[in-house]
Amino acid sequence: MIRLRPLIFAMVVGALGLLAWLPTWFSGEPLSIAAAQDGVAQIAVDESVSDGVEGFKTVVAPFFKAHCVRCHGAEKSKGEISVHALNGDMSLGQELDKWESILDMLQVGEMPPATEPQPSSADVKAVTKWIESGMRDYITKAKVEHAEPNTRRLTNIEYQNTLNDLLGFELDVIEDLPRDPVKPYEFNNTAELMRMGPEQVDRFLEVSRRAMASAIVDAGEPTVHKTRREWLKHGLDRGMALDEIGVFGNRRHSAAYGIGLKSFPETGEFRIRVNASAILPPGYNQVPFRLIMGNDININSSTRQVREVGVANLTNNPDEPKAFEFTGRIENFPALPGRVINGKKQPDKMTITPQNIYDDGSLNDRFSYGNLRNIALPRVVLSRVEFEAPITDVWPPAHHSAILFDSPKRESDPDAYVCEVLKRFMTRAYRRSVSNDEVELFARIYGMVKPDLKTMEAAMRETLAMVLISPQFLYHTESDSATDTHYAMASRLSYFLWASMPDQELLRLAAEKKLDNPAVIEQQVLRLLTDERSERFVENFTMQWLSLAKMKTVPINRELFPRFLYYVPAGERAGTEMPYLPTVRDYMIRETVAFVGELIKRNESALSIVDSDFAMLNQRLASHYGIEGVEGVNLRPVAIKPEDNLGGLLAQASMLIGNGTGTAPHPIYRAVWLREAILGDEVADPPAEVPALSDSAGESAEKALTIAELLAKHRTVESCNDCHFRLDPWGIPFEHYNAVGRYQPKVPKEGTRVSVFQATQHTDMAGYQKYLATINTVEIPAEATVPHGPEVNGLHELKGYLLKNRKDDIVENVARRLLTYSIGRQLNYRDRFAVQHIVEQTRDNRHGMRDLIVSICQSDLFRGKHPKGN
Amino acid sequence: MAQKSWHLNRRDLLKGAGIALALPSLHAMGATSALANVAKTETPKRMMIGYIAYGTYMPNGTSGIPRQRNSGEKTPHHDWSWWPCKDAGELTFNKSSQPFKELKDYVTYLRGLDHEGGWKMGGHSSGDVFATGADMTETQKTNSISIDQVAANMHGHKTRYSSLVLGTEGGTGSYGSSKTLSHRGPGRPIPSMHKPQEIFNRMFNPYSGKGVEQVRANLKRKASILDLMMDHSKSMNRRLGKEDQQKMDEYLQSIRAIEQRVERTSQWTHEPLPDVDTKGLNLEVAYNQAEEYIRCLYDLVYLAFVTDSTRYATLMLESEQSSTSEMWNYATYVLGYKGATHDIAHKRPADYSGQWDRWRAEQHAYFLKRLRDTPEDDGNMLDNTVVLWGSAHPHASHSTKNYPIHLAGGNNLGFKHGQLHDFIGDKKVPLANLFVSMLNAVDVPVEKFADSTGNMSQLMGS
Repeated sequence: MIRLRPLIFAMVVGALGLLAWLPTWFSGEPLSIAAAQDGVAQIAVDESVSDGVEGFKTVVAPFFKAHCVRCHGAEKSKGEISVHALNGDMSLGQELDKWESILDMLQVGEMPPATEPQPSSADVKAVTKWIESGMRDYITKAKVEHAEPNTRRLTNIEYQNTLNDLLGFELDVIEDLPRDPVKPYEFNNTAELMRMGPEQVDRFLEVSRRAMASAIVDAGEPTVHKTRREWLKHGLDRGMALDEIGVFGNRRHSAAYGIGLKSFPETGEFRIRVNASAILPPGYNQVPFRLIMGNDININSSTRQVREVGVANLTNNPDEPKAFEFTGRIENFPALPGRVINGKKQPDKMTITPQNIYDDGSLNDRFSYGNLRNIALPRVVLSRVEFEAPITDVWPPAHHSAILFDSPKRESDPDAYVCEVLKRFMTRAYRRSVSNDEVELFARIYGMVKPDLKTMEAAMRETLAMVLISPQFLYHTESDSATDTHYAMASRLSYFLWASMPDQELLRLAAEKKLDNPAVIEQQVLRLLTDERSERFVENFTMQWLSLAKMKTVPINRELFPRFLYYVPAGERAGTEMPYLPTVRDYMIRETVAFVGELIKRNESALSIVDSDFAMLNQRLASHYGIEGVEGVNLRPVAIKPEDNLGGLLAQASMLIGNGTGTAPHPIYRAVWLREAILGDEVADPPAEVPALSDSAGESAEKALTIAELLAKHRTVESCNDCHFRLDPWGIPFEHYNAVGRYQPKVPKEGTRVSVFQATQHTDMAGYQKYLATINTVEIPAEATVPHGPEVNGLHELKGYLLKNRKDDIVENVARRLLTYSIGRQLNYRDRFAVQHIVEQTRDNRHGMRDLIVSICQSDLFRGKHPKGN
Repeated sequence: MAQKSWHLNRRDLLKGAGIALALPSLHAMGATSALANVAKTETPKRMMIGYIAYGTYMPNGTSGIPRQRNSGEKTPHHDWSWWPCKDAGELTFNKSSQPFKELKDYVTYLRGLDHEGGWKMGGHSSGDVFATGADMTETQKTNSISIDQVAANMHGHKTRYSSLVLGTEGGTGSYGSSKTLSHRGPGRPIPSMHKPQEIFNRMFNPYSGKGVEQVRANLKRKASILDLMMDHSKSMNRRLGKEDQQKMDEYLQSIRAIEQRVERTSQWTHEPLPDVDTKGLNLEVAYNQAEEYIRCLYDLVYLAFVTDSTRYATLMLESEQSSTSEMWNYATYVLGYKGATHDIAHKRPADYSGQWDRWRAEQHAYFLKRLRDTPEDDGNMLDNTVVLWGSAHPHASHSTKNYPIHLAGGNNLGFKHGQLHDFIGDKKVPLANLFVSMLNAVDVPVEKFADSTGNMSQLMGS
């Protein structure tokens, strides 16, 4: 674990004018180290170094003078570290962050640079031991308790989840809030990033009013809106009847065109019932069927808004149609606003569109394959669709009655009833017990708005909307000093593992004051992790930890990877990506999230992020990676063999694509990713005033240079080499994985034009693969010498090296990432020993991912206690 | 306080009541009450800041300053340089700057300017300080007030909205990757809006179809509720530690700001909303229709100005840290370039980077021409609007010095155009000096902004 940012930055800047490691020695300034010995290259010491200033004088200072001072002294202070200024007294807690950097550098062997004379390992050990014990002393003995600021608002994701869990139904609100900040490789749930401004509060108020409008229904019976449509097995056209949906859809008036809703309510739960079956040609066992709802997409546009209702796998044949039921909230689906005709606004429109999303990787545009393909592949048969909203099986709906519950008091003592409603709601919204004063405030607000708004329902909506913009709701519970430690713990656990509020059981345990018991904590962690709400944690954590989102915006080179995505085959938008269908790219992000989820579920070692014996795949992903025998859209663990060239996070397409250019792999991006996400280093941005690396293969191809060659050239420039010698070697071993994340050790010769798939020429996918194999003839070099390490060739050897030599860093990094996310702040030197303790505690089971999480939740740090050295 | 300044303005405006003015032919200007007359009696003086990312193409010099050849031989100016011509003086236009040719009397290029506060931020982050000039070294991570907000603080009450903050990616972003140009002060970024439909609705349909009486009643209620909540939250605040208390202050300030806004909104309900036609505006435009989307944002700024809904706008057209946004693909949509828009800065100009600059220039010229073609008083809207446009680093080099800076309009506000000015070598001054002149031009009599050392009188006509 090394935190390098300032160091690297300064190295490069410094190196611009100065030749970095030339053995010329400035001795101008007298050293401020009192007892510096003259020019001692090796200091023979045993490990029994005295603590404190004494040990500094006899061992550490001479070591610095011999190995460090030339670059980190009075003349130069690279990385803002100048050891000559350190006086060896840590008892006041001065510059401990710098001491920690020095410690990291020495422990990892990053410093002194490999080109310099190296100290003996005994010396390094003595010095690191001295530093570590000094730090521990300070942190343990420090009289002044250091309270880390922890007042932070909920992130947009936490806010939405909390709202949904509080109200008991799903409401999409993130799009209506100002976007949360994003920082690569950092979590945004920190106090630093989760700030508040008027616009934010304004939007929160809008959203909470909208939420309450959905949560509380008006008295009386609702109007139920219904639409239904049926299709018959006739109108056979090129082999397909009107009730069938092929992988390329079907013609107008067929089931593929879906149904427009005659009318629908503004809010409420809807139900869609369909009768569906499958036509499965020999060799096919199922077809995935998807419903989307929103704008009508059967026009030539890519800007129509839709949202998925659900997916079902069909295995039954048309003689035995089955009924499937989908539900959702109508307000989450985008309606097409009605036009104004002759000054009169027409009603908004909504369309349900059914889709056949079978995808074995060979599909692309219907123009290449024609209708033949449509009937050679599984088809969906849809005989009937029925829409109904709102659902009135129980009325008023449960989410309404949970707030405005049945009680005789409602009529007999309305004031008491209102207070009781408020108290129940606020207890959950605040995630703690509430005082009478707090209830009183909102009772006053209720009294204030009731005369205007007339009904109890309307007045309560407005009042509760105000509860939802109070700081007790918008901020993390633990920042509220009125919160008892047990309630704070309940919230810590739920926001860590669910990204949402605690449920009844956690709140009950808090009320019973049981959440300081390690056994109870463990049992709760396991319970929370088996609940499906933990998927939110896994997704939110993984996306930010691995900086995954960017893979969705990498422009994929269509000429090189013509069959990677779906493209519109003809018309004005020909060649643009086809919207409205899930693509392999969507599955790739889910693959990575599901992989991390599976590691936690199985309690696999944290080292599995480097390599594993399984991958999370569905049919489309399996075809992408060239794995056979995986059917359907659901992701599941699939055993893999070494020759599959998969395993761990390192070979997953989400990372490989996100850290490529869409045309070629990008060793720098991949190196940065490896060091940031896996090894836990901080890599600095390219510094100002250094020439840029021409970094896209577009140009390097023209100049007949691969990126690796380009980098080799770049490294011949000294100022570039200072940074790149420790960066490139981590990225070059990935070169056998192409820009779409597939193992491809050979590429076409420079200047070769790659032909797009053509049905006439290549016949089918296998034929196209054969053609690609004929032009991919040039082996890509993937050898690199790891800094302070051996030469590795390709990803397999890199993984081997990491698992052998960097185990501790990787485990510590995973622990740090989880811990940082769980407590919502950056770690600093005070947390060093707490991290070590968590790592130690989980050693027995090879640092199982779940064990790590349990250990974190049991730690003093997580529980908000003063960090102590262990 | 708000009450007080309100009365002051009322007096001001009454002085000028009854003077008939030539106004743009918009239904919007049917307002008759005293408040709207504030706007009418004085010709609006407006300011707009636009930002483009990844720098622009500048050959012969990593810092954007052309290198001097020792031999003294004359080399022709590069066709695709972002600078329109080689030497300081009267403007001539190369390929890259062609879109501004017909606006020659309205544009000025300024070479050699930058914010020292952004020097250490790295070329991918210095956009943070473009409109603020804040000193953001490694340790100082909060921005300071932006130029538009300085003006808005002084004159913002004269229009329905004190300022308009737009961007293409939305939100505030974070340190080193800002998604907005506007900041109220340290740690108080204003989130930018990026969805055309939403911007339009918030600006021209803020009551969502409700009657004015009802809106006023709602606002009144909201104010009293917020007042109650303020008191309550203050008591919570007292129980917190110091650092947490500061964070809590953010919340309280926000509630307070909304309360003030309620008063203000309530006052403005007495003014009819401008009746703006959405014809010709595609508010549902998607990102991948790059030109239409960008122009739509420009159009919204234009509409805000022409209806005098606000006089100060910022528009972050691009940001350097857009790898998780569709902006990353813009060059693909526009030029068919196969790679990330970021990479284009490192490409050959005739093929890509110059073409990209030109495309951006076309969009900006489109906006300037819309202003120029709209008559106002004796001149046009551009005469009364000063527009700053540029980036916070020169080009491919990741340098944070010598920004491409383009100033347009404000001819009636004192600016004189048609020149390339050099601020190189011993002529070097902070970019903030320009900000002082811009603020003075829109009647904000400041003598200093950020690290300014004076103003830029050389840009002003005598």
